Amino acid sequence: MKSKWIFGVSIICITTFLGGCSSLGVQPWERDFLAKPGMAINSSPMDSSIDDHIYFSKEASSGGRSFAGGGCGCN
Amino acid sequence: MQITQHRNYFKIAFNAMASPCEILLFSDSHNLVKVVAKIAIDETKRFENKFSRYLYNNLCWQINRSEGKKVKIDLETFNLLEYANNLYQMSEKLFDITAGVLNKIWHFKKDAHPPSQSSIDELLPFIGFHQIDYAKKYFCMPKGMQVDFGGIGKEYIVDRVAQLITPICEPEEVSFLVNFGGDLVAKNFNSLHPAWHVGVENIESHRCSEKLINISQGAVATSGSTKRFFDYQGQRYAHILNPITGKPVMGAPRSVSVFAGNCSLAGGMSSLAQLQGKNAEIFLKNAEVEYLCYW
Amino acid sequence: MQLKKNLNVAEKLALATATLLGATAQAETVKDEWQFVGSILTYSEPDRVSALETIFTADKAFDDTAKLSYKIVLDSLTGASANGAIAQDDVQTFTRPSGNGQYIIQPQETPLDDTFKDTRAQFSVNWSDRLTEDSQYTIGTNLSREYDYQSIGISGELARDFDRKNTTLSIGLSYANDSVSPEGGRPLGFSSMVIDNGQFDDEQDYRNAFNATRISGDGSIDTTELLLGWTQIINRRMIMQMNYGYADVKGYLTDPFKVLSVIDSSATAKFYLYENRPESKKQHSFFALTKYHLNDSIIDFSYRYIDSDWDIKSHTLDLRWRLFAGKNSYWEPHVRYYQQSAADFYYPYFVEGTILPEFGSADYRIGEMDTYTIGLKYGFLIGDNRTEVRAEYYHQTPKSSSNEQVIITEDLNLYPSVDAFTLQFTYYFD
Repeated sequence: MKSKWIFGVSIICITTFLGGCSSLGVQPWERDFLAKPGMAINSSPMDSSIDDHIYFSKEASSGGRSFAGGGCGCN
Repeated sequence: MQITQHRNYFKIAFNAMASPCEILLFSDSHNLVKVVAKIAIDETKRFENKFSRYLYNNLCWQINRSEGKKVKIDLETFNLLEYANNLYQMSEKLFDITAGVLNKIWHFKKDAHPPSQSSIDELLPFIGFHQIDYAKKYFCMPKGMQVDFGGIGKEYIVDRVAQLITPICEPEEVSFLVNFGGDLVAKNFNSLHPAWHVGVENIESHRCSEKLINISQGAVATSGSTKRFFDYQGQRYAHILNPITGKPVMGAPRSVSVFAGNCSLAGGMSSLAQLQGKNAEIFLKNAEVEYLCYW
Repeated sequence: MQLKKNLNVAEKLALATATLLGATAQAETVKDEWQFVGSILTYSEPDRVSALETIFTADKAFDDTAKLSYKIVLDSLTGASANGAIAQDDVQTFTRPSGNGQYIIQPQETPLDDTFKDTRAQFSVNWSDRLTEDSQYTIGTNLSREYDYQSIGISGELARDFDRKNTTLSIGLSYANDSVSPEGGRPLGFSSMVIDNGQFDDEQDYRNAFNATRISGDGSIDTTELLLGWTQIINRRMIMQMNYGYADVKGYLTDPFKVLSVIDSSATAKFYLYENRPESKKQHSFFALTKYHLNDSIIDFSYRYIDSDWDIKSHTLDLRWRLFAGKNSYWEPHVRYYQQSAADFYYPYFVEGTILPEFGSADYRIGEMDTYTIGLKYGFLIGDNRTEVRAEYYHQTPKSSSNEQVIITEDLNLYPSVDAFTLQFTYYFD
């Protein structure tokens, strides 16, 4: 049941995006800001792996950004 | 490498790509300048080490001595080949990075004279970009052919250096000028700073001089034969060679400078214009680019 | 005619140069050399756990396109962790999970098992390479080993670029097998904790009783996951990512160190049962991230929704704001808010004389709670090398459960909040 709901939401988001803006994206020479290290999708992988580990051991949900599971008996 | 501080800018100077290279930064931060210098020099040397025709066992050396065998290439080389192919197609085979073999018989210095037609004819079969077989991962060309990335390399590396230092300079609003032997890119991130004054090669009557231009944003590239030519039997033979005939393009301007958004585009347009010979200026006018042309 | 044709030359050449310069801009930072990053972190929960973690990563690039990444993590953990039992007005005695000895909890204190002392070593390797001009793959393996727990996993990902590399779609699969082998064996779900109060004739008599609450062999957990990703460049300043993830976890998901108090109507604990969780968990996750480059700063905002068939639903909001402060330094404040609902088998305690449900756990981490994090990071250069210092404060507020049936006085504090502090130092070797 619940999973259907999430699927619904993500499909709405996706179609809104694809339908709404056909002019998404930039030309290769417009990648000045995007080329900065701070604009990388995961600009601090060290921090995110540490955070994932801490929250994995303290909360009941994990993953989302990357794979959720395994690897540690800390919970 | 030399870093000098001037009244309101820093200058980084070094030699590479057979040219004096300089980067001017409208900044008062020595640290930023050092970072920029490292990036620029590393990138320029990297490129030079990889593509120079004169270095033993680099990529260009391997390609030119492959003798018909396949050579593994990387993405950057592939992109440069694609670009060279574009120029080849657009110029209707006049711009050809395999034309360098002609330099074996043409020597553009004072009191030289043209080679014989038979020696030209001997070389012509070894010219022609279409004879190259290449793809993303490999390169293959018939024995006896040579490629020379010199015709596109310098403008490319000027663009690359500008591209690499932009993320450092832009947040600090440090405007800069990258000038490698007259091929240059300027980026302005600060409306306060005045335009750079740079010299473009130019010849007037019998003396070489430089014309000063003002630039704060954009690119300029110059191609010409101001120093490399000889006169023979009342004809001027300049070093712009037509790869189809194997002879110099006659009546080309002594120098063409083109203004454009990036240095590769400026350089490509000025080279294509030169290859048009006496129609160079019409070509540039029709292309609606900004240019300076000296005959 | 002539004019039209020549105009096309300039335009065509402009496109060709854009391809030339744009395409290589992607690969520019990749050089054929090693890149090392080290990080050291202290984590402490006052009166509970403290941990020291060091992480070291080494990346090596090959041929402009391929990359090999190693990662080593060393963890050492000491301290005490809530065992699930509730506080009492009297002293409580618990048997250690190994069966060797006891720990005593003073009146009105949350029972914490102070046996925790563990070191963990983790090693992972990833290899990625370009498959075609537009696609890339990553494969990797992960090994983790601690005293009573080990894990081995493999993962793979395939990503493809579209529309001038403005859109990237990816699909990832991973599988991990974990094995749990606590000292003294795994407790039998819902068996009663054997406590030596002098009722045993001798040590052997106690041991026999203790062993009767144990099941043989190691616990095994199989985790299989799917992760679908969509990354989209919106404009010059903005990039977005959306992920959907599905995880299927099977096996011994019970925590062998956790118990539930069984209390009477006056909230007095009569005995303790080892917890018992389902042997399967399925989880869906939805993750959306936006990064936006303002003039002097970058905003990084993400939302995550997770839903599992344990009935745990969670919402996570995370905001990081990188404010550039001069040439090579920045400040990055961070706030995170997390909220979860309780698992359907979460019971803060059981009541004596009632029928036991199929599954039950009093682990507050699967109960309803809110948490927040506030943090600050400072990035700067030491010499030419990037360096980061980060401090974070984390606060958990567990919420009361609908499965409460007995009035518990407030001084027993059924839902104590938890604080944690982390301090992290990261150095990028050049």
